[in-house]
Amino acid sequence: MANFRRFRPDDLNKLSKCNLDPFTETYELGFYLQYYAKWPSLFQVAEDQHGNIIGYIMGKLESSPDVYRFSEHYLPWHAHITAVTVAPEARRLGIGKLLTEQLEMAADANNAWFVDLFVRVSNHKAIAFYKSMGYSVFRVVKDYYGEHSSDPTLSSEDAYDMRKPMKRDVKKEHIREDGEKYEVTPADVW
Amino acid sequence: MPSYRFGRPALRANVDVQLQTAFSDGNWNAVIRLAAKRAATLKDPYYEVIKVCAEAQLDGTAEKVAVLAVIDELVKNKKTPDIDTIELYEWACRDFFDYEVEYADTLGPLRVRWAKANPSSPLALQCLQACLERWDLVSAQQIATTLDKTYANLADRRYMFWNITLTFLLSISPQCTDASRKVYSLLALRQLERAADVTENSSKLESTDRGLLTEEEICLYYRVLSSHGTKEEYISRLRSSKLGAISQLKEGRKLLFCESLNALEGWAEWDLIYNLCREALTLGLEGSTSPFAVCDLQIWKKFALAASKTTDLESALAEVQTTLKEYIDIKDKASEMYKKNLSLALLETTFRLPATTSNPDHDNAGLSPRVVQIGLFLDQYFERLSGFDDIKGYVAELSFEEAKTLMEEVIPKILDENADKARKIVLKALECKLRYLLSTCPQTLSAEPNVIDGETKPKPFRCRLCNNPASLPCETCLKKLTTEASNTYKQITGDQEILDSLPRLDRDPRLDLALVMGNSLLKLSGLRPRTSDAGQSLWRDVEPGSFLQAVLLLDIQLRETPGDTQLRMLLVQLYLLLGCVSYAYQLWTPLDVKRTIQDSLSPLFFDRICTLSPGLFRGTRPLMEPLRSFYNHSLIDRSPVRIWDAFSAGSYTSILDMVEFDGNLRRSCTLMMTLVEERRAIRCYGGKVDCEIEEHPLAENIDDSTTLVAKTDYGPFANLESLHGPPIHEYLRLGPGLSNERSHLAFLSEQYIDLLSYKPPKDYRPSKTNEVALRDREYTLETLSRLSNSLTDFLHKPTTPSRLTAPESTYYTVLSLLSAALLIALSTPRTEPVPDTLSLLMSSIKSAFGSLRTGFFSSPSAQQKQRIPPACQSLADMHTLSHVRETALAIKHSATFVLAFHEKELARDRSGRSGLHRDVIAQMKALNELAGRALVEVKGHMLKLKEALGEGGWLDRLLDLVFGSDEEQQGEKEDEVTRAVSEVVGGRAAAEEWAGKVIESWREGVKGWGMVRME
Repeated sequence: MANFRRFRPDDLNKLSKCNLDPFTETYELGFYLQYYAKWPSLFQVAEDQHGNIIGYIMGKLESSPDVYRFSEHYLPWHAHITAVTVAPEARRLGIGKLLTEQLEMAADANNAWFVDLFVRVSNHKAIAFYKSMGYSVFRVVKDYYGEHSSDPTLSSEDAYDMRKPMKRDVKKEHIREDGEKYEVTPADVW
Repeated sequence: MPSYRFGRPALRANVDVQLQTAFSDGNWNAVIRLAAKRAATLKDPYYEVIKVCAEAQLDGTAEKVAVLAVIDELVKNKKTPDIDTIELYEWACRDFFDYEVEYADTLGPLRVRWAKANPSSPLALQCLQACLERWDLVSAQQIATTLDKTYANLADRRYMFWNITLTFLLSISPQCTDASRKVYSLLALRQLERAADVTENSSKLESTDRGLLTEEEICLYYRVLSSHGTKEEYISRLRSSKLGAISQLKEGRKLLFCESLNALEGWAEWDLIYNLCREALTLGLEGSTSPFAVCDLQIWKKFALAASKTTDLESALAEVQTTLKEYIDIKDKASEMYKKNLSLALLETTFRLPATTSNPDHDNAGLSPRVVQIGLFLDQYFERLSGFDDIKGYVAELSFEEAKTLMEEVIPKILDENADKARKIVLKALECKLRYLLSTCPQTLSAEPNVIDGETKPKPFRCRLCNNPASLPCETCLKKLTTEASNTYKQITGDQEILDSLPRLDRDPRLDLALVMGNSLLKLSGLRPRTSDAGQSLWRDVEPGSFLQAVLLLDIQLRETPGDTQLRMLLVQLYLLLGCVSYAYQLWTPLDVKRTIQDSLSPLFFDRICTLSPGLFRGTRPLMEPLRSFYNHSLIDRSPVRIWDAFSAGSYTSILDMVEFDGNLRRSCTLMMTLVEERRAIRCYGGKVDCEIEEHPLAENIDDSTTLVAKTDYGPFANLESLHGPPIHEYLRLGPGLSNERSHLAFLSEQYIDLLSYKPPKDYRPSKTNEVALRDREYTLETLSRLSNSLTDFLHKPTTPSRLTAPESTYYTVLSLLSAALLIALSTPRTEPVPDTLSLLMSSIKSAFGSLRTGFFSSPSAQQKQRIPPACQSLADMHTLSHVRETALAIKHSATFVLAFHEKELARDRSGRSGLHRDVIAQMKALNELAGRALVEVKGHMLKLKEALGEGGWLDRLLDLVFGSDEEQQGEKEDEVTRAVSEVVGGRAAAEEWAGKVIESWREGVKGWGMVRME
């Protein structure tokens, strides 16, 4: 049913199965192409037999700007998951997990210390999914999201910054067990 | 990146504060004055540059363009200005680029000279970036070559590969002269071959070596090789021990493997594909790669297909099966996705085996290994949302006996009696979908004698399932399917236990059942693919009752499952066909088609929208604004979006793909649709278009030789059809989809209208009126000649007729004839006889237009009137009415154009010699009258339509069409299908709200039409 391969720009014409789903955001062209231009091996897709894209992951490799090197919030060379989505018809087949694993392989190939991502603290399903894959909460970013996903009376929502150490982090220096207790503000996140 | 992208460039630090301040404040007169002073005092030419650049910011044309003359002089004199000067000049010319000035002829060469003179300066890189931003490949390639020579053998390998990539890009670009193309092609190829040899011959490649090291570098080589090398070279390298596809795969690099399989398929190199797939899959089993790294369905399909094409077919297929079996043995370690891929691969191989191999003894033709495999697959996956899509291709390949066995013996046994109710329902819904699928397969019919006792039979087949006379699809089977699906639907809604279990299912089975019923009813209504020969009014060949039942049923289902995009998209199309455009738009909006996905998805709503309901453009927000904004934003620069990012990251294959994507986006049929639909809507309400379409920045570089690209995404449709017939979206479109031919014709037609509607600016008062008049006439004749030729060429392409609806075909034909007629009319001196061709053209125009009018305005037959109210006929055919209007207006404006020309000539030249021939004038007056009469007719029709919809009783009339009249219902004439639909939707009363929406939408559409101008 599915093929896994690197994203190609022409795939943007085949995104309907993923992007018509209201939970998947559609970005400007430059946003997708920026990822494809800079980190092509971290932009992977799953396609069905008709060439429709039924899942994709976009990621990047970066470190914090040098000017923050001595900040406690400095992030060393790491991979970041920007977006991962699976079309409704292709769920429960482990496609999200496979895509994430592929990104992790690319992160290892690029000598990253860890892979990180942000997730709403109310998105229990996603948190459980990432935990099952070896991610843990590294810190809580207060009021990271401008609106609350389920409570319209709230004007913001916290995010978990979750991490998984890569092969380079032999001593597991870049994760912590009690990350839920570490709170930072959006200004501390680059 | 040039500094001015973020504002004015910084002046040199040694420039005094007063001048700096005036410059940063944009006080240009002060800058000019101060710079002139400093130039005289300090004798520094830099101040002259500042002065010229400041003058370019003034309003006067002479001051504005002075900078261009200076740059031109610099280019001609082969001088190399300093980088600050170049930056200033580039900033000063920023508004001229791509219009009056070509970067490659001006700043590009200056940047090249500077980079060559200062190759080791970091600013040389900035020159490369500036040229790339302006997509001046000639200059960029030269700078890249210089940088490569300067930084050869450095650890930063990008200089070498920028040079090669740009040389390759130039070789395939229109910017390259034909004479240089071969040289650049060879240059790119030979440099890469040399690099490949370095890699092959080196025991360990260092980053300073000029070999191929990274995956991107290697894939770039293969891309160039497949474009400029020979097949033999490509294949030979693909087998190599270091740069071959398999060796790369061992290093975890899959890209080359996937790309090479596609290249080999293009060359039909099946033996090689077979070997590559076998080796790659074996790597996974041996542990040389991660076990399921290449276990994609596509690889298995290619492996099986290649095996079936080898000379030793049986042993090759046996090898495929052996490999597959080894994978199945370890599948417990695989993720669900790969397990499913393996199951599908098993199906694929079973279907590729020759019948003699898969079932040598022909035992039990029905329960063949193919059927058994489908059964086994369904055992595991029938509950999955994608289960039907996974197997539908295989089921459609089955023989009748096999299909019958599958449906009657295999599927009923998938679940036992005591199975969970919800699971049983899901299986039943799948069975309904498969039965619908089979109704689209020709093997379910057997041929019968076409003529019996001298009479031709309307249905020349017999259905092998129900044994009734039939055509494809069998009506009896579809009716039966509809009633059975309805029963299952009611079973769900009537059972709380099942209803409670719906949330845990992949999807609500009522949705599948509604889709089966809806599709069956559409087929029963006689709906057929909306190709060029389909009758324009839906109701000419579609039975209203069944069609409206389908719409109602699906609409009611959408209330239950509003989040389902497939259902929503289907309904959008049906309402467009029905003429309920505003309601279709209400359903379309929540799909939230925005930003990047608009190019591929917008045609599903916006194509031909102006012909259906121009009133939709009168909303508070400009209808096409998001689309226009997307194109403006994405195509603002000549270079592909984010291309420098790819260069600086060393993503060479990304560069090539982004260039191709950008080229396609600039040639997008959706882009042309956006421009044309909006212009047509503006004209409908007497508005003024921004500029002539040929001058539109988004249409620059489009000419007759440009192939416009249609990329419409039909993925959001639930397609229950088999491959034996057209996909469902072809039944639902208003006419043929977007195409190169139609887009060009639309583009040319708008150019013709631009020519007719051109008016010189009010303050334009030329002094040499005679000279200007002659030039205008020459320009008009040249344009008419070009448009006439181009329209004729596109209309005469063999593919064109199938790309247009009948009214579109008439409209473009009339425009082509008009342009030819006007050419003769304006170029024939009044003293010479008018060529006979003009009369021929006139009569062709009248005849084509006459057919279009008659087709629309002829009274419906008594039988048609009985089937559906005449107003509904028109409401579902506004596309034709719109073309009657557009054609009439084109005729009217053409005639007016000629007559106005004549009047103008008479006024200019009192001798009357430059006026037109009186026969021409007479012909044009006749055309004018003809068009005028047609427009009155259109207006009258609109009024009648408005009156008709204003009458009472529409709700009952519509509901009668769906359910039959009260008498029919009371007289028990209600057929089984209508009863089934009625039970699902909750009866006539429950349908009233829906009927109200349909009628309201019709009224809204007609209201919009009422304000459309007829002149």
